Amino acid sequence: MSNDDDEHDHDHHEPLVVEDEQGNIEGQIVINALQNLLVERNLIAPGEVRREIEKIESPGVHLGAKIVARAWVDNAYKARLLADGKSAAAELGIGVGEAQLIVVENSEKLHNLICCTLCSCYPRSILGQPPSWYISKAYRARAVREPRAVLSEFDLHIPDDVQLIVHDSNADMRYLVLPARPAGTEFVSEQRLAELVTRDCMIGAAVVELKAAS
Amino acid sequence: MTRGYHDIGGKEAGTIPMVELPWLHWEKQVEAVRNLLGDGTRRMLSLDEMRRGFESFGEDKYKALSFYRRRLEAMIDILVEKDVICREELENEIASVRARWETGYKT
Amino acid sequence: MKPRFDTGDKVMVLELGKSGHIRVPFYVRGHVGTVIHRCGVFLNPEDLAVGNVAGPVVPLYRVGFWMNQLWPDYDGNALDMLYVEIYDHWLAMVDKSAVAA
Repeated sequence: MSNDDDEHDHDHHEPLVVEDEQGNIEGQIVINALQNLLVERNLIAPGEVRREIEKIESPGVHLGAKIVARAWVDNAYKARLLADGKSAAAELGIGVGEAQLIVVENSEKLHNLICCTLCSCYPRSILGQPPSWYISKAYRARAVREPRAVLSEFDLHIPDDVQLIVHDSNADMRYLVLPARPAGTEFVSEQRLAELVTRDCMIGAAVVELKAAS
Repeated sequence: MTRGYHDIGGKEAGTIPMVELPWLHWEKQVEAVRNLLGDGTRRMLSLDEMRRGFESFGEDKYKALSFYRRRLEAMIDILVEKDVICREELENEIASVRARWETGYKT
Repeated sequence: MKPRFDTGDKVMVLELGKSGHIRVPFYVRGHVGTVIHRCGVFLNPEDLAVGNVAGPVVPLYRVGFWMNQLWPDYDGNALDMLYVEIYDHWLAMVDKSAVAA
């Protein structure tokens, strides 16, 4: 196992712990051994594990982007989404496994940022796995204390007169940011709008930009 | 007031590590096994039990392990606690798997 | 269990001195915030962590705190806030909202 950064004496600067090749092999060996014992005990079946892996691989940024694009083009949908995220996602065929999805809307006057200080809570059933930075000590510790400084590390500078709300998803709710729709997209199709929405926009670490389009 | 070592909101920390790491097969397998053991029929390992697991490691172990290794070790601790498996048989199985791995059989 | 708090109520986060698995972050304990939203009822993670699924369920709230009250050296917009989810038994009423929820 190695660290991806130089060691510092300061206790507070902790690099992200990343497995090296040996560490990954070790992880694979241990989970295989555990799985073998559980299969022997008829507690799980190998086919079940394969299917569950496929299931957890399938959500991704595209699902969140679909929700965002629909909310942008359909105000009634947006209202339902902000009132009950889980039901609104289900309308688009997106199943939310977590207890409830709270969608928070960015505007000219308000910017929202999501974090989980205690562990790594994230709307995985929609967006898939969180980015490594989201689960880092630095983000978890600092997002609730100095969010504007954190966002400037993402090259996002929130104007002084814009209110910032940070959401610590510490319990049963999961959060998705509904980013502001960029100006000049009035005639862009819903599908094309979805292509503009990146993962970081739905966490609040970025805003949707027209020039990000491929 | 007691404060868990995992309860780090507001603490001093360095710059955000802007890395994108791949999600590896063994890591997905850890999640999948946890999901199955925690499902409606088995109910053997809830998310909160797993979290209690890694919150009980002690600070050194928590800080030394990678994210998915933490979850794997927490799962093992809870399953041992519940007598689903015992540590000695797991160690033996790990040794067998490692021996086969080294000869090219990756299961 | 009937929720004791409504949207708009001013509440204080208690320090219950519990050990074990707690989902109330240290940084909000002892602070006063406002109930933003009632999230519904859930089994208590403190019980779930030790395999106790018998209940009772506990109401959960999103509570908003002013950043400049949580952090003495905060230097953003004075309106910046932090929203956290807190379970009913960790809260005490400070000031009932004048406006009915």
